[in-house]
Amino acid sequence: MPLFGELELGTITRDLPKMRDLDTEAWELPKAEILQLACEVADGSRVLLPRALHPAIPEYVTFVVTRYPESPVGAFDLAQVRLMARAGVHPRGYVLGAVASTAAATSALRERWGYPVVPGEIGLRRYHDRVAASVRRDGQTILELALVDPEIVSGGDLQYIHGITLARLDGAAQLIQVDPHYTLHTAARGRAHVSRFEAAAWNGAPIVLTTPISASVSTSDTDLPRIRFVMDPETPVVRGTRKVR
Amino acid sequence: MKFGLFYELSVPRPWTRESERTVYDNALEQVKLADELGFDQVWAVEHHFLEEYSHCPAPELFLTACAMLTKRIRVGFGIVVCVPEFNHPIKIAERTAVLDILSGGRVEVGTGRSATWTELAGFNASPDVTKKSWDEFVRCLPRMWTSEKFEFEGEFWSMPRRTILPKVYQRPHPPMWVAVTSPGTELDAADRGLGSLGLTFGQFAEQEKRIAEYRRRIQLCEPVGEFVNDQVSTVNFLYCHEDDAVALKTGRQMANHFNYLAAQLMSVRETYPSKSYPSLGLLPQLRRQATGPESSEQAGEGLCLGGPERVTRALKRWEACGVDRVNFLINTAETIPQAEVLASLRLFAREVMPAFNGSKA
Repeated sequence: MPLFGELELGTITRDLPKMRDLDTEAWELPKAEILQLACEVADGSRVLLPRALHPAIPEYVTFVVTRYPESPVGAFDLAQVRLMARAGVHPRGYVLGAVASTAAATSALRERWGYPVVPGEIGLRRYHDRVAASVRRDGQTILELALVDPEIVSGGDLQYIHGITLARLDGAAQLIQVDPHYTLHTAARGRAHVSRFEAAAWNGAPIVLTTPISASVSTSDTDLPRIRFVMDPETPVVRGTRKVR
Repeated sequence: MKFGLFYELSVPRPWTRESERTVYDNALEQVKLADELGFDQVWAVEHHFLEEYSHCPAPELFLTACAMLTKRIRVGFGIVVCVPEFNHPIKIAERTAVLDILSGGRVEVGTGRSATWTELAGFNASPDVTKKSWDEFVRCLPRMWTSEKFEFEGEFWSMPRRTILPKVYQRPHPPMWVAVTSPGTELDAADRGLGSLGLTFGQFAEQEKRIAEYRRRIQLCEPVGEFVNDQVSTVNFLYCHEDDAVALKTGRQMANHFNYLAAQLMSVRETYPSKSYPSLGLLPQLRRQATGPESSEQAGEGLCLGGPERVTRALKRWEACGVDRVNFLINTAETIPQAEVLASLRLFAREVMPAFNGSKA
């Protein structure tokens, strides 16, 4: 039997986003710009992963910085740090922490999809030789990274892995699957370079980055969809998954 | 139709000092029995770092042990990784030749390039060029086995003129194969005159279509070796029991456990965008089929789980699809007790094998 996460739920429950219900309406999010970096991490991240999930082998995280020029709450940027895992047999990114650039997006993402998101400042810039992002919060830079030496690839070469958030719903902790659709218009890949990562600021204090894996950037029509599946965070997902719709 | 065994050598947690030894010992006992029962081949994978799923990084050693315990069964690399960071091509030529001599000419050489980030990054190998290095390797190996002197200057490796020793025992050289998981790789095999060592399960219609295209394409091949190996091999689960219901329940548990472990693998495509890996290979099918490591529900089309009649029917379908060889996974993570695995092999040999040409009861 593969290893499971070792998160002590009681240690974080009070900080979980509170969702109002599972009747979240989908958001259409056209022309999104998505920068994603993947990086292996040192052993020790399993204490952050809910017991319902298996850790990836090797353990790794993804940083996803997205600029949404259009949304029901206006333009906003979102940065996520995700600990990669398996929900049963499916690869998933468990969202450890997130930062959004507007108050409206922050509250909507917390209430509607359970993102552990807080407000902050996000920069995303394209240069001739790199695509760089930075995230600041309370006057501190908590993430600084870049895709270096971009080369154009086919959209079909990119794979985006669905996310899972941990939220409180009706007084109980629940894992929420967030599984957007993507229609890619442009795509590039490059080397991943992380120059600053304050793990504690992303609820990931034990995480130590080791080997960079890859970086990609795309423009895509995407969405934040209706919620389809929720899972008990303490039960293996093959037994603890509930289909919402 | 010929039958073989296929080993990943999966070792379940918790790992103890004895658990890996038990898995290897059990496998060797199975191979010894299979040889006596008339199975034609045993294959062993080369995988590295794949926790629980496969603890088989040195197939040449396992296969040597198999050869020393048996008289007739052929021993196959399923596969040897043709990426220079994993294996130097001279070492591949030498190791396969030594095993061919020790086994009295029973070696089969499957080739491949690895499909997981876990393994490729572990050896600091770039996923972008594995297909090119594989191509270079498979073109060199037959010449290394058969030429008195060999020299080479390529993109991934070079060597001055030397005599590579020993030479293979089989003449002109062992049959060569290509591991086929992703759609299209069977055409790479066909174009080079290499056998298609299928590592996907089930799906008659899709396999039949792919086999037909392989057969058409290999007629036009430029063989990399001194002969064309135009055989199609596929992999299947086997658990045969007099009682269909018992066989299905036990067999499905094994198959589901395998699929669940396999789905934990971190494919290249999952993390590293590369034209070199345009599909997820085996994984999408396994994820569709996996229902949980302990589940006994569901079984894919064409699996050899059941009583002798049911297993025979499945194999007849595969034969009709054009499959020449079927290699069986007969256990996963020791899900089935060893005595039952051996009983399944005996029943298969007694009741199923006689229904197929080329295999003795």
